[in-house]
Amino acid sequence: MTMANKELAEFLAHSVELESEAKERYEELADAMAQHHNDQVAQFFLRMAQEVSHHLAEVSGLAKGMELPQLRAWEFNWPETESPEAASYEALHYRMSLRQAMTLALESERAAESYYRQVADGSDDAETVRIAGQFADEERSHAAELECMLLELPENGANLREDDDEPHMPE
Amino acid sequence: MIDVIKLKAKDYKSGIKPIWCPGCGHFSVFNAITKAMAALAISKDDTVMVSGIGCSSRLPAYVDSYGFHGVHGRGLAIAQGLKVARPDLTVLAMGGDGDGFSIGGNHFIHACRRNVNMTYIVMDNEVYGMTKGQASPTTALDWDHSKLTPHGPGVRPFKPAALALASGAPWIARAYSGNPNQMAKLIVEAIEFEGFSFLHVMSQCITFCPEQTDWKAIVHEREEPALVDADEAAKLFLHEDGFQTGLLYSEQRATWPPAAAVAVSEDAVAQLSASFRV
Repeated sequence: MTMANKELAEFLAHSVELESEAKERYEELADAMAQHHNDQVAQFFLRMAQEVSHHLAEVSGLAKGMELPQLRAWEFNWPETESPEAASYEALHYRMSLRQAMTLALESERAAESYYRQVADGSDDAETVRIAGQFADEERSHAAELECMLLELPENGANLREDDDEPHMPE
Repeated sequence: MIDVIKLKAKDYKSGIKPIWCPGCGHFSVFNAITKAMAALAISKDDTVMVSGIGCSSRLPAYVDSYGFHGVHGRGLAIAQGLKVARPDLTVLAMGGDGDGFSIGGNHFIHACRRNVNMTYIVMDNEVYGMTKGQASPTTALDWDHSKLTPHGPGVRPFKPAALALASGAPWIARAYSGNPNQMAKLIVEAIEFEGFSFLHVMSQCITFCPEQTDWKAIVHEREEPALVDADEAAKLFLHEDGFQTGLLYSEQRATWPPAAAVAVSEDAVAQLSASFRV
């Protein structure tokens, strides 16, 4: 395997992980919101998981037949502590509005776009540059869709620190 | 020829949906545990998760391994007994700060002292969440969110790492729920360590302590290697800010039970069995 192919293999390993984690995370977030009866947000996260699964299939297809490096969770080289498109567990709240959920997803899509763009800009391998650039464009289009959807939603949303359904503290 | 299929993190999930509040740090701990299991290619049949009572103690149900959801504060007693009886198993005990440091506080200090080869993960959110938000042993002395302690508990919180060290724990690390990948690495190291490994996880409670979302800006990763000297570790644990993550202290020590005691006890069990045989 040439150095260029090594670079591409490493990039694709990161891409598969990024998309897999994003899909699984959206599914987990959907489950969490469904458990707490916020069905509108649960449905939205489920839809995001489906969208990401298409991208995951595309990335996996490109990696088919290639020997990708087997990296453990902490060996991936991400800009932050987690893969860029995985929305933070801790950003969730059971009272989250659809607008807040969409904003969270938009941040994730933008982070993924930024990651792919950085790879494209920083690589010397033509194939890696081409594919990373293509992925960045796809993430940009997902983000643009969310931006359009957000324009149609009212500018409201719960202040998640001011819970008007306060926890029941009987003591 | 049998093909060995490498399991992924999601393959270690049982399929039971967690009922934790959305935003709870325990989701991240669950994620890290399954990532660690996948990294170690650990056998589900040879792994046991043992817990006490509380939000975090629900975790064994969500992992596809053997599990035991025990009595409040008694997870460590069950886990140590299991490991001594079945040293071939990988045993992880887990629970919250109330379960581990208050209700089960005595078990905790003696587990540290005894040094059975197992891992203990405490998901510390500084509050009793399942019973609706009362002060725990790690709650700040001026935390006044509970009507039970309207002016705060008024007592200084435990320093879990210092308590573990003073009790004899040979492996002490700290993780933060906002960084599940670092936590997964620490869980792997904890399981691989020969002895009692104590992983203290700062795991936010979004419902009763929403101010803990600010932890993200405060936590910092330890850059130096783990301390191997208990005196040095004591200084660190008494004076640090409590937000340092990573492996903090590691010192190899003889585990319990010693090999000679195991041989004697196996013989004693055989004799006891024989005496009951009809």
